[in-house]
Amino acid sequence: MDDDGLVASEFATVRVSLDTQGNSPRLRLEDLRSGAVRFLDALELESIVWAPEGFLRELLDPSRHRWRDDGSAGGGP
Amino acid sequence: MTTTTDLRSRVEPDRVHGSLYTDPAIYAQELERIWYTTWVYVGHTSEIPQPNDYVRKNIGPQQVVLTRDRTGAIHVLHNRCSHRGNLVCDADRGNSSSFRCPYHGWTFANTGELLGFPFNQGYGGAQAKERLAGLGAAPRVESYRGFVFASLAAEGPTLREHLGAAAERIDQLCRLSPEGEVELTAGWVRHEVTANWKMLVENETDGYHPQFVHSSIFSISGSGIGALYSDKSTAVTRALGGGHSENDLSPEFRKLGVPMGWAGTPEARIPDYAAAMRAAYGKETGDEIMINGSPHVMIFPNLFIAEIQLFVIQPLAVDRTVQHVTAIQFAGAPDLNRRLVTQCVGSVGPAGMLLADDAEMYERNQRGVAQRQPEWLDLSRGLQRERTDERGFTVGTATDETSMRAMWAHYLTLMDPA
Ligand code: FES
Ligand SMILES: [Fe+2]
Repeated sequence: MDDDGLVASEFATVRVSLDTQGNSPRLRLEDLRSGAVRFLDALELESIVWAPEGFLRELLDPSRHRWRDDGSAGGGP
Repeated sequence: MTTTTDLRSRVEPDRVHGSLYTDPAIYAQELERIWYTTWVYVGHTSEIPQPNDYVRKNIGPQQVVLTRDRTGAIHVLHNRCSHRGNLVCDADRGNSSSFRCPYHGWTFANTGELLGFPFNQGYGGAQAKERLAGLGAAPRVESYRGFVFASLAAEGPTLREHLGAAAERIDQLCRLSPEGEVELTAGWVRHEVTANWKMLVENETDGYHPQFVHSSIFSISGSGIGALYSDKSTAVTRALGGGHSENDLSPEFRKLGVPMGWAGTPEARIPDYAAAMRAAYGKETGDEIMINGSPHVMIFPNLFIAEIQLFVIQPLAVDRTVQHVTAIQFAGAPDLNRRLVTQCVGSVGPAGMLLADDAEMYERNQRGVAQRQPEWLDLSRGLQRERTDERGFTVGTATDETSMRAMWAHYLTLMDPA
């Protein structure tokens, strides 16, 4: 992460910042390629830390949430 | 296509035919039988220190991605999407547990495994992952002291068998670090020449040319190295087996007996390094290592360790070759490392004199060898005074063509295994 909170590779570009608008701080994640934003609170972050490896691998499947064609609700923040 | 009988008639003990450098059919055969069969140097573990680091590398014209997965295991993957063949990775380096192809979004783990693709109903659902291919991977990947090699053949000699005595030269290099490790972290310069790759391999341990081609850099830098490549020198050219060869200048450095004399760097300039070496190895052994110097070894077919810099040879066509070059860095030796980078900028950087001299000779040689007469290149220098050393290696004087003759003999065993 650089000074501007940019986490980037050739595959994705996400800006990470600490948001303090709420009653507790949250992590603000902005996908700079689409403009989509998601907030993660402390307990959500802790849950990700403890999630098994397979959890992230599933998220990385493009059909899992973002690019679906089975008629079900897609993902998205 | 060149038949193998044809090939054997073009390589003789003391001469080789010019067509070996210019014939596209021979080049095509070399790719199959040498570059895509034998062990080829790919990269160094210090280039991918963290889990999920990756760097783009090559095996001849093949583009590969050298990855370290989350468990630390190392993979050499073909940079080709299993959907319709797009290049998957474009950046020279990065950190990512997975790679997503920019064309249609197929996504792969850095082990090569297919993780998924967009709109999977078109394939009958997510379970299609089981039947669809992931990224191709080199069937054999092994490393020796951080030097990662790959073979695209599923079977063959082990890396240790392939390296043979050349492994000791890698040891010699690593011992120059107080921590016993080399780090290739100085960045790479890419030099492309219009010449056949074997011109480069042969030149790397050709001790006959430095006094002519490099005389100006030797005189400007006040280097004593040039004088070591003469008939009066006790330095030798040694065939190490397996097509590997070296110019062993260490007898001269031992005669000189000065720690770091080989590098032309007075110890007073690198006091921390000298102290760290003696602390790590003891005074006597530390001095011995620093006196003995760094290897000058060509590890067939593509890794050339030239004392303070490292070259990787990459053929792209019968008459096109890239040399990737970097300054060698030693773990635990910051003061020495700074000097090595400065020295390498002068010798092999974008305006470096040493490599520019050689590059000019490669290109002239390629143009010259395309002329019709005489058809053969002479390889006979020193044949009459060649000897076998105490370990059974063939040795010539510093300016003899011992290493080239051995390279060609090995070449035939790969190109015509029968
Ligand atoms: S070519 Fe890579 S996803 Fe289509
Ligand atoms: Fe289009």
